[in-house]
Amino acid sequence: MMDLLVKALLDGDQAQAIIEVRKLREAGVQRRQIITGGVEAAMTQLDAKCTVEQFNLLEIMLCGRAATGVMKVLYPLGALPPQTKAAVVIGTLEGDVHDLGKNIFKMVLTAKGYRVVDCGKDCSLERLIDAVEQEAPVAAGISGLITTIIPQVLQMKDKMAERGLGHIKVIAGGAALKQATAESLKVDFIAQSAFDGLHYLDQIVGVRHE
Amino acid sequence: MNSLERIKAALNFKQPDRVPVIAQVFGHAAILAGVALGDYARNGELLARCQLQALQFYGYDAVFALMDANVETEATGSILTYRTDQYPVVKSYVLADGTDLNTLLLPNPWQAGRMPELLKAVRILRQEVGDSVLVVGCVLGPMTLATQLLGIEAALYLAIDEPEQFAHLLGFATKIAVRFGVAQIEAGAHLPMVFEPSASPDVIPAPFYREFVLPSLNQVFTAFKQAGSAANWLHTAGPVTPILHLYPQARVDLANIDFCVDPLDAMQALPQTCLNGNIKPLAYIEAAPEEIAAESSRLLKLFANRGGFILSSGYEIPPESKPENIAAMVTAARQEK
Ligand code: B12
Repeated sequence: MMDLLVKALLDGDQAQAIIEVRKLREAGVQRRQIITGGVEAAMTQLDAKCTVEQFNLLEIMLCGRAATGVMKVLYPLGALPPQTKAAVVIGTLEGDVHDLGKNIFKMVLTAKGYRVVDCGKDCSLERLIDAVEQEAPVAAGISGLITTIIPQVLQMKDKMAERGLGHIKVIAGGAALKQATAESLKVDFIAQSAFDGLHYLDQIVGVRHE
Repeated sequence: MNSLERIKAALNFKQPDRVPVIAQVFGHAAILAGVALGDYARNGELLARCQLQALQFYGYDAVFALMDANVETEATGSILTYRTDQYPVVKSYVLADGTDLNTLLLPNPWQAGRMPELLKAVRILRQEVGDSVLVVGCVLGPMTLATQLLGIEAALYLAIDEPEQFAHLLGFATKIAVRFGVAQIEAGAHLPMVFEPSASPDVIPAPFYREFVLPSLNQVFTAFKQAGSAANWLHTAGPVTPILHLYPQARVDLANIDFCVDPLDAMQALPQTCLNGNIKPLAYIEAAPEEIAAESSRLLKLFANRGGFILSSGYEIPPESKPENIAAMVTAARQEK
């Protein structure tokens, strides 16, 4: 029954995915079930398909958009937010405009049941840490495509510790950062791809992979 | 041979006195001169002065009148944020709020935004170096400009959802590129480099490139040739191997290859096109001069029999690079017989 939704999502067909969701709801399927059996299942299949060599950006963007559309239908503004695994704060730091990678990470996380707080691109460290303080996430994710933002990354953990947020994990990704090691950037994890980042988060929130 | 003659020889697969070397020094010229990047990007005269100083310091074969990737979008109505020590960034894209493309005016290069400052830089550079050194201008390629007018995600979704609308946007971007590039040639540029990172296979698949990007690039380069450009230089970052064989269809004479491209693959894909590259940009910050020298010699040897090569970085040399690393690359080219 869920197969048609999964197929529509994998096809990146947002309109069809929404039709399938409406049918499922009319048939009395719970929202939570639609998310785990439909949206998350589609993401898991996409994840399995995407290796570092085989990575079709547009395919992921379309699937991510369809999934985001489905979530909006299930939980329109004002409705109770879905029971999320955890919150994650993400952003691209000041001076960096590359935001495609960050946005993909956001879609992947959203479709996998995380609540994502997006601080956007060209975001100052202060603003990012303010959001971390407010949202109590399991992790903060930094996307960095240009090397000039590395000095900001190096300060992130220390500045968080100063504000009593040292227990929150910091993960990083994007072309400039993924060439470095976690130790050299003073972060907890470097993700080679959006899915790599997802796996790390799943691990720290204790999600089991079947 | 002077620098320009040397580059022309390489472009035509003739024997230059030595392999030309083009360091892609853009904002680094400001840092070298102790000038703030934010000022460099806004003042054509200052930019030209910094470029000339860097030329004198390093002794490579080309100078660049290049500010950043936001000149055209700003001139069309996008709002930028300027900072002292960084390139400016787009704060709001002109088409992001649903503004109708048909209401946008084609920017006049002699009036709009920083375009006149860039033309001023071109004029000064050409006056100073004449025909001894290559004077390179810069325009954004149609795909990159489309993503800079609308935002990259929205532009990609538009291409999929409403291909005709996207083609319309690309057409508008093509007109801007032609007009701005031709003005640069008129102001004295030997050629305007076409900067097209958003068409990278990192972003779009090859069939998309063939269908949308190639015809627009062809229009741009045809217009540049007619206006007297010395050569058509295409600059696309990332793993471009799957699209290189298409470049001749866009009339490309000089193809930039990034560090992640295997030069042997590029030679095979483009047997008759001059190539420039491909030292890793990050290495200019992290590596030691000996490593840059070794990598330069490796490339020079690799291309020794074929010719049609300009020693260069794979992409922009990061502003914060170590001068001794750039110097090591230039020395390698100068010493190789
Ligand atoms: C498209 C592009 C642009 C577009 C960006 C449009 C936009 N709004 O995003 C434009 C034209 C604006 C642009 C401008 C510039 N660019 Co640019 N650009 C690129 C290019 C070709 C592709 C980037 C991209 O979108 N890739 C696709 C996405 C999906 O990949 P991704 O970001 O890596 O994300 C994936 C993973 O890394 C991961 N991920 C990303 N972030 C995060 C975060 C977390 C927490 C996690 C878990 C995962 C994760 O998820 C994604 C999916 O798996 C790259 C080349 C490259 N190899 O990266 C150069 C590149 C990033 N650019 C570069 C440069 C130098 C510039 C400019 C400075 C050029 C100039 N002189 O003006 C300007 C910078 C402007 C600025 N201030 O930021 C250099 C940076 C090198 C360096 N030394 O710093 C690169 C690497 C090119 C190169 N080979 O040298 N660019």
